[in-house]
Amino acid sequence: MIDVILHALPIAIIASTPLLLAVEGELVVQRAGMINLGIEGMMLVAAMTGVIGQQLTRSAAAGFVAGIAGAMVVAALFGVFAIRYRADQIVTGTAVNLLAAGATGFVYQALRGGALFFVPPMPEQVQRLVVLLAWLVVPAALGLLLWMSRFGLRLRAAGENPEVLAHVARYRWCALAIEALLAGTGGAFLSLALSSGFAENMTAGRGFIALSIVIFGRWNVRGAIIGTALFGIAAALQYTLQAMNIGLPYHLLLALPYVVTLLILCGIAGRVRAPEALGR
Amino acid sequence: MLRLQHITKRFGDNLAVDDVTLELRRGEILALVGENGAGKTTLMRIAAGELAAGSGTIHRDGEIGIVHQHFLLVAGFTIAENLALQRSWRFASRRALEREAETLIASTGIRLDDPSRRVETISVGEKSKLELIKAIAKKPEVLILDEPTSVLTPQESAELFTVMRALAAGGTSVVFISHKLPEVLEIAHRIVVMRGGRIVAETEAHGMTASDLANAMVERTSRAAGVASTDSSTRGEIVAIVGVAGNGQTELAERFRKENPGAALIPEDRTRDGIVAEMSIAENLSLKSRRWNRREAAASASTLIARYSIRATGPDQDAGSLSGGNQQKVILARELEQKPKKILAAEPTRGLDIEATAFVHAQLRAAAAGGASILLITSDLDEAFALADVIQVIYRGKLSEPLTPAAAHERVGALMAGIA
Amino acid sequence: MRQLAAALLAVVLLSLCALAVGRSPVELLRILTLGSVGSRFAIEGTLLKSIPLLLTGLSVALAFRAGVWNIGGEGQFITGAIAALIASHLGVVPAILASMLAGAVWASIATLMRLWRNAPEVLTTILLNFTAIHLLGWCVNGPLQERSAQYPQSDLAGASLPVAGELHAGIVIALAASVASWFLLYRTAAGLRLRATGLNARAAAWAGINVNAQLVRAMAISGAFAGLAGGIELLGTTHRLFERFAAGYGYSGIAVALLAQLHPLATVASAMFFGALATGAGELQRTAGISSSIAVFGQAVIILLLILFGSWRSRD
Repeated sequence: MIDVILHALPIAIIASTPLLLAVEGELVVQRAGMINLGIEGMMLVAAMTGVIGQQLTRSAAAGFVAGIAGAMVVAALFGVFAIRYRADQIVTGTAVNLLAAGATGFVYQALRGGALFFVPPMPEQVQRLVVLLAWLVVPAALGLLLWMSRFGLRLRAAGENPEVLAHVARYRWCALAIEALLAGTGGAFLSLALSSGFAENMTAGRGFIALSIVIFGRWNVRGAIIGTALFGIAAALQYTLQAMNIGLPYHLLLALPYVVTLLILCGIAGRVRAPEALGR
Repeated sequence: MLRLQHITKRFGDNLAVDDVTLELRRGEILALVGENGAGKTTLMRIAAGELAAGSGTIHRDGEIGIVHQHFLLVAGFTIAENLALQRSWRFASRRALEREAETLIASTGIRLDDPSRRVETISVGEKSKLELIKAIAKKPEVLILDEPTSVLTPQESAELFTVMRALAAGGTSVVFISHKLPEVLEIAHRIVVMRGGRIVAETEAHGMTASDLANAMVERTSRAAGVASTDSSTRGEIVAIVGVAGNGQTELAERFRKENPGAALIPEDRTRDGIVAEMSIAENLSLKSRRWNRREAAASASTLIARYSIRATGPDQDAGSLSGGNQQKVILARELEQKPKKILAAEPTRGLDIEATAFVHAQLRAAAAGGASILLITSDLDEAFALADVIQVIYRGKLSEPLTPAAAHERVGALMAGIA
Repeated sequence: MRQLAAALLAVVLLSLCALAVGRSPVELLRILTLGSVGSRFAIEGTLLKSIPLLLTGLSVALAFRAGVWNIGGEGQFITGAIAALIASHLGVVPAILASMLAGAVWASIATLMRLWRNAPEVLTTILLNFTAIHLLGWCVNGPLQERSAQYPQSDLAGASLPVAGELHAGIVIALAASVASWFLLYRTAAGLRLRATGLNARAAAWAGINVNAQLVRAMAISGAFAGLAGGIELLGTTHRLFERFAAGYGYSGIAVALLAQLHPLATVASAMFFGALATGAGELQRTAGISSSIAVFGQAVIILLLILFGSWRSRD
């Protein structure tokens, strides 16, 4: 068993990098008091704009920039409705996801036939850099920003009791921008590094899995990393089990990540203290 | 300092502040007294710039600090983090924030230990101190305190008065909003009495007595209606739980609710827990019914609206659009019509006017006369003495032994402060 | 009125998508209209699509009215269809009952997780959608694959709904479900309790309503409707299962319910509108090569416009 896990570990770390970035982004947003279901759509759009950016410039860096830009647009849309119009966040997030699925589907069909969706493998160094960022640099930066700066203290206050702050909206917008930065990078990594281009609905629920891990991790950076790692290993076992051919049908193995996430959501022991103003 | 001229403010049809002119002197303690709804808080929120005046001019010099009755604290943060929210800094460790908090607290002369504690774990008195520290830290020229002693024990109040005197001696003007007359006479230099949005009296505190002030505050033609005497053998008992707010009353009510299914429940927070604002009066009145027929429900709602003299356009009006007193009557009608054996009434008259209060009291007495036993949770001692057969004091979640009203008169103050 | 304005404005906005692929918006609107209501065939297609939409819309409306975030219509739709296929050999009525039961059971997994571990149903229902999609994939590649094992699809169901022309009896069932939902919500004490819980769960609890029981009930009924939608789609329209069977009907139910302001009777009109949109979009894909996913895009635009027009504010 240990062997199996050790074998799965490197795959797990690379494959769950987009997920971790999404978890980190959603953590910031939820700490500011918002539930953004639209992160799924954010990643999906980033996956597409990332590929377009890469193909137009032939540069991986430009691909990431385009991915982040795409995510920013989706974040802005969510923010306008959830912050400016104070609309229900779950309804808004769901609408944003439908919008992203519809828009990417439309563009995908319109551009199909061109070679836009077959990107060359990403340079090894770039890939390593993003993995390093996601697993080490971002957690450290978020720890510093959220828990050791006045900005972070106020951002968290926006999520606990918006009444105490004069500029709640400002902090919530900042949180959304940070989320777009991270989830956009994650979405672009998904299409540029983990696959050779964009496919319809390719995020396959990673945004929702990210939300679940944020809860499992009790809105902490450490919990987010542990949760993602656990999930990553469980999901990587899917490939190992497949290779070992132990008789579980392929399609049921595909359901494994979601079942694991459901179990993760049920594995929250005891009372969890969510940000008090979450969703309001 | 602060000069208010001809200030007027309306909320809908309600004239909350009516042509008020008031000037504050440097280094004075001004008491603003009056009944609930007299316009004290509205006037001071206008003074502090939190509300826009309808008309009139405001002249301010320097910072105005205001401590609300309703705390503006982050429950999940520590004391130090709450203090750090308003200071300017960039990066700091939790330790550093705590050290700075300690220095700040010490400089105000208020005693508040261990700033690493989370606010949700500290007592109400401590929360109130924290709010005061936050306000003083901004070094205001004018400090407005809205009913600060309503959640304090006598010792804590005395401590607060010491701080207020020190601030005034240092040149700060302090406005003290209260309806507790003995306190006002103890601390204030000058007293302003408000009634119905207007200033009805303005006087130096020296030489005033509580009864002078009380006469100025209210124009009472008649007190609450008397009770018909009933046969004491079938009469249910009214037990009043009194105490400073935040000493476990909410938890006690919650426990009663869980342990007594089928009991009549009058919750403390009526808009949040008592009614469904978006539903009609008729629907709200039917929430406890096993069976429901729209036409019958409307008919019985009309009957109840008349019987409980609820001021409404009809059974289809949204309950959320009713005034507080009428919302409370809807709740009473729904709960008492079940002819319950047990009743929980938590702060049943908070925020209600004299007439509505008298009505609620009469209904509770009538229910007791009909045989229901009532648990009355209240922070209004007058209410407890007016209604209760037995009084118990709650302090830090623990109940004292049951006392007769006569015995309670002697001991209730000490018990509420936790020193008996 | 606002709803109508939002729907019309959304269609106009959609037509602008034509510019993106170098076509005229007017032509797109023409195809969209003709393709959805321009002929007897088109109208029948629209009505056929409206049937599952009406049921998933009712599913969402009931759940949201009770304050339960059931985003799991897609998964409940799929499990309903799988159960209907299995039970179809016993007859059409058992198959329909089985689809409702399966949908309710699948939704109740989320209820259990909420009551047992406080896992938010908004996430568990979505995750159950993905699980159901792969469960379906396994079924049509494994135990339920057609006997000839040629394609990843099932054999024809053992029973089917009575038909009249292109239409099937599902339309009657769906309309009956809509009236029944309205009656439940607005004419019974049980409905009063569901709505009170959805509007203010704390006040409901203080008025002696068992809030957890309302959650259990709302989720089960909501799941049963989504499951029924899947069962009817199988027994009336597709007659067999295949991998992309659900086709987004579960998610579309959210837009259907919101446009109807969560009112069960208005849901009928709303479902027909979205049915027409989906049918017209299919025609666009066939004749103009414009992706039918603009129908999904349209759903999102309508929800957002409804928010803008102030008919779907947060309750705080």
